[in-house]
Amino acid sequence: MSSRDLVQMTAPLREEFTIPCHELGPAAPHPAVSLVSGLHGDEINGLYILARLADFLKGVENGDHPEMRLVQRVLIIPAVNVLGTNTLRRAWPFDQSDQNRMFPGNQMGETTQRIAYTVLEATRKSQYRVDLHSSNLYFEELPQVRIYEPSSEERESARLFGLPAIMEHAVSPVFTTTLMYAWKYWPGQNFLLQVGQAGSIQLAHCQQVFRGLVSFLEKIGVLEGVEMAEADQESIYFTKKNSVRIYADRAGMFVSDKSLGKWVREGQELGFIYDSFNGNIRTKIIAPASGLLTGIRRQPMLFEGDLLVRICTKPS
Amino acid sequence: MSESSLSIITSTILSLEMPYSERLCIRRTVYRGGDGPRAAIVAGIHGDELEGLYVCQLLADWLEQLGRKNPAGLLGSVELYPAMNPLGLDTLTRAIPVFDTDLNRYFPGSQSGDLPKRIAHAAMENLSGAALVIDIHASNIYLREIPQVRINTDFADSLVPLAQCLNLDLVWLHGAMTVLEATIAHSLNSIGTRCLVVEMGVGMRITPSYCRQLMSGILTLWKDLGVLAPDVEVPTCDHFPLIADDSNVHYLNAPTSGLFVPVIEHWTDVLKGQLLGTIVSPLQGGILAEVRSPVNGTLFTLREYPLVYEGSLMARVMAGKGRKP
Repeated sequence: MSSRDLVQMTAPLREEFTIPCHELGPAAPHPAVSLVSGLHGDEINGLYILARLADFLKGVENGDHPEMRLVQRVLIIPAVNVLGTNTLRRAWPFDQSDQNRMFPGNQMGETTQRIAYTVLEATRKSQYRVDLHSSNLYFEELPQVRIYEPSSEERESARLFGLPAIMEHAVSPVFTTTLMYAWKYWPGQNFLLQVGQAGSIQLAHCQQVFRGLVSFLEKIGVLEGVEMAEADQESIYFTKKNSVRIYADRAGMFVSDKSLGKWVREGQELGFIYDSFNGNIRTKIIAPASGLLTGIRRQPMLFEGDLLVRICTKPS
Repeated sequence: MSESSLSIITSTILSLEMPYSERLCIRRTVYRGGDGPRAAIVAGIHGDELEGLYVCQLLADWLEQLGRKNPAGLLGSVELYPAMNPLGLDTLTRAIPVFDTDLNRYFPGSQSGDLPKRIAHAAMENLSGAALVIDIHASNIYLREIPQVRINTDFADSLVPLAQCLNLDLVWLHGAMTVLEATIAHSLNSIGTRCLVVEMGVGMRITPSYCRQLMSGILTLWKDLGVLAPDVEVPTCDHFPLIADDSNVHYLNAPTSGLFVPVIEHWTDVLKGQLLGTIVSPLQGGILAEVRSPVNGTLFTLREYPLVYEGSLMARVMAGKGRKP
């Protein structure tokens, strides 16, 4: 069996529900790598990437790619918030709680705490743990590796995904109940991949991250016989001080024709804020620095103070 | 300002453009008497909690009457902030609409940045330095709570004596939790502005008797603090809180999913093994699980929203009668 149910739970009126997962590669007391997505039900990129990756690795096991061998155990959970995924809701739909604020969970606690406990139990002993996210419905993120107060091993390994950006973050008290934070208590390495925008699939981002995961599995010795094309560009390592953010100085409508992953010059126009009643331009958005466009708002309707654009300047 | 005048001014503490044509305003009403201590009431941080709105209305009426009959009775000033999340209240949404975030996880906020941060920052700027802030919450739509004060043990020494004068029925001391560091109460207490968190009733409803009970406590406490003059007549307080902490509160989570039907009134004393309710099956009939009290004690939380998932909280029982202060 390459797939199983992590937990079986009752529901008030519909069928009993489970969190299905894939277990691929040779049997082991615990998986060498755990890949998790869909803590938020509206983040579809991660779901697509992990479901396709499971299919690919199953193909490797079945000999569809005779040159490749899966030599260590991989656990894949494409969606943790299954009901949210089926009802297109970010939060756990019954009580609107954020599944990624329920860790480390509790076997006897609230439903979402029980789910959190189950996911942590299944993944905590892996040497490598990866959680895929997709910003939210409003903001698009260039595929990037996020590491949180990382160890030197994590800093090194983050490059193995071959994604354009690696961003180092501090751990804020607000995030102590996330899966990432819960993982950090256990030996091993932890990565959060931030991919695109929630609510739809951005295929180019997904393809890039799919290749990144295959490359990562190869470089950590889990998947053998992969021949990867050279990455188009080197991963660039950014910290908070390389990150320049532009916030809306006025409310209105934000319209931009720029795409992520492009280098912009200081002074370049990045978009406009329009008065959404009168139609006139309120603000012309100008790049305050030269750098890589790593994040952009896609929901046009703006409140004053909303984040519009993030540019990462080249580290010196 | 003459000694016997009481001014009433409603003003806007934060005004922000919305995407299309309108503005979002956070408003307050200030009752100013003399130069004595300043007290504030905050409500409506969650858009589905209405109990605090009614408390503000009761206090506003009371203060307006004081202004007519005994304006010198207000030695200090009172600020009422009934709607910290006006967009949530106006759209039946607990979180801040659009941002989908819990305002009470955004403190202390910042002057720039997005809307939740700006609301939090404006609240902090206006409330800091008050002699006492009371932040009124109304549980959520799922659970009904008896009138209580919740206090982080880090601030117990300064807050418990105040909480005991508030005419409520329970003071619940809870351990420090890092996620709660982003609440308004923690942020204010951390900078030395005392803030009490009241929880009572249930979301999307008001419980007028609880609101009047709290109003009596607030007025009494304001008198103790010197916000109101000693000769001002305030309603009597006849409630004295039990003390609960993490050691004597028992949680009853649903062992299975279904429809929870209580067989007992909220806020009663219960015996160990006593039936509190059943989880039944609307599909096939019959009882799926019985819910019994694990201890002798007081049923202080009871589920109001009947559907339960496996794990949903149905009740909390405080063991014994609590420790008397």
